[in-house]
Amino acid sequence: MKKRNLSMILSVVLACSVLGGCGGSDSGAVSSTTSETTAAEEGTGNTEETDDSAGDISGKTFALVTKSAGNPYNEKTAEGFQEVIESAGGTCIVKHPEQATADAQVSVIQSLISQGVDSISIAGNDENALQAALEEAMAAGIKVSCLDSKVNADSRQTFVNQAGNQEIGQALMDAVLDICGGEGQWAILSATSQATNQNAWIEAMKSAMTEEKYAKLELVEVAYGDDEPQKSTDQTQALLEKYPDLKVICAPTTVGINAAAKVLQDKGSSVKLTGLGLPSEMKEYIGDDNEHSCPYMYLWNPIEVGRLGAYTAMALVDESITGAVDDTFTAGDLGDYTIVEAADGGTEIILGAPYKFDSSNIDEWAAIY
Amino acid sequence: MAGKSGRNISAEPQNSLKNTVFSWEGILVLIFIAVNVFCAFLSPNYKITNILREMPKYLAEIFIMFPMVYVLVMGDIDISVGSIVCLSATLACMASNAGVPLLVVLPLCLAIATICGLINGLILTKFQELPAMIVTLATQIVFRGIAEIALGSGGSISLSSTKDFKILAGKIGPVPYVFILVAIIAVVFALILARTSFGRKLYAIGSNSETARYSGIHVQKIRLIIYTLTGFMAGVCAVFLTSVLYGANTTTGSGFEMDVIAMAVFGGVSTAGGKGKMIGAVISAFIITCLRIGLGLINVNSQIILIILGALLIIAVLLPNIAALINNMKKMAAKRAA
Amino acid sequence: MKKEALFKKMSGSQEIVLTLVLILLCVIIQIKSPSFLTMTSINDMLKNNAVIMLLALGMLCVLLVGGIDISVTSTSALSGMIVGLLLKYNIIENTLVLFLIAIGVGCICGVLIGVIISKGKVPPIIATMGFMYIYRGLAYVLSNNQWASAADLGNFKNFALGKFLGINNVILIAVISYIIFFVVMKWTAYGRKIYAVGSNSEAAAISGINAALIKLTVYTIMGGLCGLGGALAVSVYSSAQPNMMYGQEMNVIAACVIGGVSMNGGRGSVQGVLIGALMMAVINKALPLVGIDSIAQNTVQGAIIMVVIVLNVLMQRSTFKNSLKRREM
Repeated sequence: MKKRNLSMILSVVLACSVLGGCGGSDSGAVSSTTSETTAAEEGTGNTEETDDSAGDISGKTFALVTKSAGNPYNEKTAEGFQEVIESAGGTCIVKHPEQATADAQVSVIQSLISQGVDSISIAGNDENALQAALEEAMAAGIKVSCLDSKVNADSRQTFVNQAGNQEIGQALMDAVLDICGGEGQWAILSATSQATNQNAWIEAMKSAMTEEKYAKLELVEVAYGDDEPQKSTDQTQALLEKYPDLKVICAPTTVGINAAAKVLQDKGSSVKLTGLGLPSEMKEYIGDDNEHSCPYMYLWNPIEVGRLGAYTAMALVDESITGAVDDTFTAGDLGDYTIVEAADGGTEIILGAPYKFDSSNIDEWAAIY
Repeated sequence: MAGKSGRNISAEPQNSLKNTVFSWEGILVLIFIAVNVFCAFLSPNYKITNILREMPKYLAEIFIMFPMVYVLVMGDIDISVGSIVCLSATLACMASNAGVPLLVVLPLCLAIATICGLINGLILTKFQELPAMIVTLATQIVFRGIAEIALGSGGSISLSSTKDFKILAGKIGPVPYVFILVAIIAVVFALILARTSFGRKLYAIGSNSETARYSGIHVQKIRLIIYTLTGFMAGVCAVFLTSVLYGANTTTGSGFEMDVIAMAVFGGVSTAGGKGKMIGAVISAFIITCLRIGLGLINVNSQIILIILGALLIIAVLLPNIAALINNMKKMAAKRAA
Repeated sequence: MKKEALFKKMSGSQEIVLTLVLILLCVIIQIKSPSFLTMTSINDMLKNNAVIMLLALGMLCVLLVGGIDISVTSTSALSGMIVGLLLKYNIIENTLVLFLIAIGVGCICGVLIGVIISKGKVPPIIATMGFMYIYRGLAYVLSNNQWASAADLGNFKNFALGKFLGINNVILIAVISYIIFFVVMKWTAYGRKIYAVGSNSEAAAISGINAALIKLTVYTIMGGLCGLGGALAVSVYSSAQPNMMYGQEMNVIAACVIGGVSMNGGRGSVQGVLIGALMMAVINKALPLVGIDSIAQNTVQGAIIMVVIVLNVLMQRSTFKNSLKRREM
């Protein structure tokens, strides 16, 4: 009996420590930034009220949520983002989700809302799964923009797109046509099956393929390498075995193209490769001759994607743009940008056209990124 | 001589204050208070509103922990729960998108999950030679595989209309429904384990299943019930998880089983069976959740949080053993001296 | 009469049944897809599965002493990541030294686990679960979220392409390991002691075997093999990243279980593990070739594991019944 009473008392103590010992109630007090931040001088907006001290970046907190931890492409984007924010005097938090899934990103977003950041820039792992969390963020006064991999129109204010989806799809489709010699079988090696950016480019490729000149090309399969080198390698080998007549593999993801390039080159295969790849990783696989598996590929500068994302976030926070169509702003040394309408009903900002890497310029670019 | 359950027939009074405070559960309460104070110290954002905002996602996991404690107390294990969550969440989303009303989707989701648990239980009771680890490993792969097939090449599904499931994410004042439900179910499960004969039978099976059988306990029937119950609670978890994530994908629920086993073990439940209390598991679940939320608020790398959790788990089980070892050495030294 | 005895003996031996099933599988797949049994195809399959096969060897020893180790992929990832980092920052470039370092790192990881399990009396599932998180987290922290890509790895990645005596290096390492373990488990005292500790730990201790030491060495060997596996994986896939082999520990355990290793300890053999691992590799490779959509792969794999273990039990029951019949009067 005594033990039971004691347990009850302990439980009450427990409950009290949760309710009482953790700090004040939500009376709307302005919360200061976290103990880690260095440049913060004034308090940032708290979770319940909107912040309307426009025009002053220093002291604001900008958060970047990547797709996963470690991917070199993500790291370069984060580099660019962080550099711009910190040189403008703001505080930058880069958070990687525990796993490369949308669920893990939801936890990250919720934590950021609790921290009262001013802006969240996110590369979404899934187009729709983040909507609830991001809507809550926007309701709390946080400016939400995305870069690289978008979320649906209701979950964001705008999207920093590295290059128009149609342009990327067209460029890749033309590359496939050219390398195939006009006809033949080809396959796609993508990232995860939910990745918004890859899916958008694959859709663009498929719709471009309906044109007359691509009539002799046959897309045999879309394989998913999950942005993991091992799985991408296994999938490439499976493609090679399943389709002995395969001519070209198109990998619109830097991890996939890297893995496939190694497999094809090591085997001395006659199958050729194109897609989106980082010059620094693909340097030894790019070449016009039989020894190299990739004649040419495309990408853009991920560091610039990060920087443009940062400028956009800053412009949203200091309210010089709202994310609506035809808003314009100056992105530092990148120039002026205008927000345009996006295919999904929201808005986007396009960095530029995809850039072609081949044997003539690969060495130069490999040193940069 | 203390048996597996740690209880012994000794002359010492069992209900002393010292025994309660220094029991593992008492230590857990102290750790809980310490963790909260620590997290509040780390970041001023560690307020009750923020904690309650981030909790529902973690609370959904705790639903699975309740039956897992029962499973562990029986000396078994079930590593397929995460996949059962994935499968039921997927099928619930598909049903909801097909226009089925919420009142039908919910029982459907629970039914699917219960059937999965039933399958686990049937295989284990019909083929008693098979270790639970292997059977649930195989069903883990199969259930998630079925979800993958159902999801198709997109690999994920989102609710086309969130208003149905949004009801479940509602709150009374600042407290989410999930929290209240978890509290109620925690009390129910704890009472069943500690105060009913059914609970005593579980401890008996865990201590020595042969002896339990000889003393008239229907071991296999109880195993079947518990595994089915595990499936059912996985369904409950899936329902509340969907109300937070508004969708499901191929990785939903992955890692839940390990998380939940870690919470239970940290709470004093032994994987060998026959030992542990529900209250310990509940407190440890909240310790781990608050630690995660608190460390996340100061942007500690999520990997470092994993290292901390792993280390805590090992230390939690190691310390009592070392304490017992030291005690033994003292007693041996005392005997030799005498 | 003799024929009957031979047949009974064959159906009683699990390994022989498994081998027959494996051969049957290969024949069926070869018929459906002639490109299956070509040299390159088999080479690829073995190379990709060499790491899992190595880990399964270590897992055999762990399962034999009645333990389990779910931290294997984390240890591999940690060793592989350390190798990758050493190469990336040009600290060490010698392939042999790197392999030795990887094995060393793995052994240290294994020793830690072994001490906690044998001296600290922590249940293996809990200890290895904790270390699974710790080692994987360490891999991320050490690498600071950076990967080591092909360009960083220099000459190291050529190891996986090189051949010695006509056989691919990686496959050669796996083969040599299997031969070594076969000899040790069957013909050395150490091997017999492992079986003894697994069958009945107390009886073994009473008969003079230092059970705790055996368990410690078993986990150390497991760690060493994980280290070797991690370095090999880096070489084969030409990249080192902290999330290497995430989630594959269950594949390793499945390979052992299919091969007839008992999870309660004391039963299992190297040849069984070999067949189990080969069967998993063949199933993995063959499914896409037989036209089963890659999306259904996991379901089929899980179903096959279930079928194998259930058949196993049914077979055991019938042998038991048969031997009982012989004893009936």
